Amino acid sequence: MLTDFNFRVILEYMPLFLEGLKHTVFIAIIALVLALITGIIACACRISRFKILRYPVITYIEIIRSTPLLVQIYFFYFGLPTLGVSVPEIQTGIIALMLNSGAYIAEIIRAGIKSVDQGQIEAGLSSGLNYVQRMRFIILPQAFGVTIPPLLGQAIVLVKDTALLSLISVAELTRSGQTLTSERFMPTEAFLTVAFFYMCIYFGLKTLADWSQKKLIFREAY
Amino acid sequence: MIEFKGVNKWFGKLHVLAEINLFIPKGEVLVICGPSGSGKSTLIRCINKLEPIQEGEIIVNEMSVHKPSTNLTKLRGEVGFVFQQFHLYPNMTVLQNIMLAPIHVKKIAKADAEKIAREKLERVGLSEKAAAYPIQLSGGQQQRVAIARNLAMSPEIMLFDEPTSALDPEMIGEVLDVMVGLASEGITMCVVTHEMGFAKKVAHRVLFMDEGKIIETGKPGAFFDNPKTDRAADFISKILTH
Ligand SMILES: Nc1ncnc2c1ncn2[C@@H]1O[C@H](COP(=O)(O)OP(=O)(O)OP(=O)(O)O)[C@@H](O)[C@H]1O
Ligand SMILES: [Mg+2]
Repeated sequence: MLTDFNFRVILEYMPLFLEGLKHTVFIAIIALVLALITGIIACACRISRFKILRYPVITYIEIIRSTPLLVQIYFFYFGLPTLGVSVPEIQTGIIALMLNSGAYIAEIIRAGIKSVDQGQIEAGLSSGLNYVQRMRFIILPQAFGVTIPPLLGQAIVLVKDTALLSLISVAELTRSGQTLTSERFMPTEAFLTVAFFYMCIYFGLKTLADWSQKKLIFREAY
Repeated sequence: MIEFKGVNKWFGKLHVLAEINLFIPKGEVLVICGPSGSGKSTLIRCINKLEPIQEGEIIVNEMSVHKPSTNLTKLRGEVGFVFQQFHLYPNMTVLQNIMLAPIHVKKIAKADAEKIAREKLERVGLSEKAAAYPIQLSGGQQQRVAIARNLAMSPEIMLFDEPTSALDPEMIGEVLDVMVGLASEGITMCVVTHEMGFAKKVAHRVLFMDEGKIIETGKPGAFFDNPKTDRAADFISKILTH
């Protein structure tokens, strides 16, 4: 078995893998930044007391959570052109990932905000601080510590989700595995290599998450 | 000055405050006691609008608390509130805890706010803890910081909701000492507590509540030694056996 394993072909295709890896990292970073922005805005609307802001965002979050990511990707891939918008595959993929992760990030941030003890809010209220001041000085700084680890968890999910973009022919990491498989028919070599690179990204982010867990969940309230 | 006029409040079906009429003149130290669930916390939480009311009116320094047009920031700047569980901000140092509201609510310059904060901290005997975080303090120290945080706003009225009942017995004294000091300074104080010693020493009046009603009020000596109602007598005998 292992004697059949062809390292040479992996080396031969290494430029293709590295190109795919580059795209995966690039897509993940852009999508993550956009998803963070989306998530923050969506969360702000979600906890707003204005129904005009709250209800559309609840609908958005529920749609994302109730449908498979692949369906969402296909929806944008096939749907946008019929609306007369022609967007390259990479951008289509980034939009889909941004909206998908954005919804989960909104819920992560909301959970962080809700985890802050009601007494903290009352202390702020009773000293006369307004909503924005309570958010800025009391609630968000305390929510931040509990939000960072699940956010990094979502980042890990997002990196793995980029693999689905291979299905709309984005030349990312998984796609390079598919290419090697179809050209040489060596799926074991191809996808072990692909898996190895995903694991590298994963362990990098996990190390960061563990470190932040120690650093940031500071001074628990009581 | 605080006045309750025909105040009624319900939590769903539960009638927590039933037809409360009460006048607390400027400078009075009022101790509120009563069995658990009688509505003591709710009563004082209505004074700075931590709770809404459904009927009646509460007036604090000429402001009608529950009127939508009332400037709540001004009201809350004049009324301090000390919680049973302290509720210091864990993400800030002791000094930052005390400076936050003076800077952002009263718009006092940072340097002045720090001066005030250090003064108040000294007043509660915790000058050396300015740079500490709340979690590094004992319960008694945290509660003294919470009092200093209120004092930095120079409130005319201070509300205390069982300020010593979350504390280990050996720390109760240090907090009560600070409160005794305040009482002698003419700040209007409403204190929910079962500390009879404190009540006898500094309270002008004791108010006894049960089931959302004011059952009895009186001078502390008379109330504790000679309660007029059976319910109060029963309650006092229970806290005495503690
Ligand atoms: N937010 C709320 N929603 C519903 N019911 C409440 C709420 N807050 C208090 N209550 C109920 O109202 C009643 C009065 O509560 P309150 O906290 O004022 O009593 P208390 O006299 O302070 O009691 P304790 O000595 O236990 O602190 C209790 O029966 C309580 O369960
Ligand atoms: Mg209470």
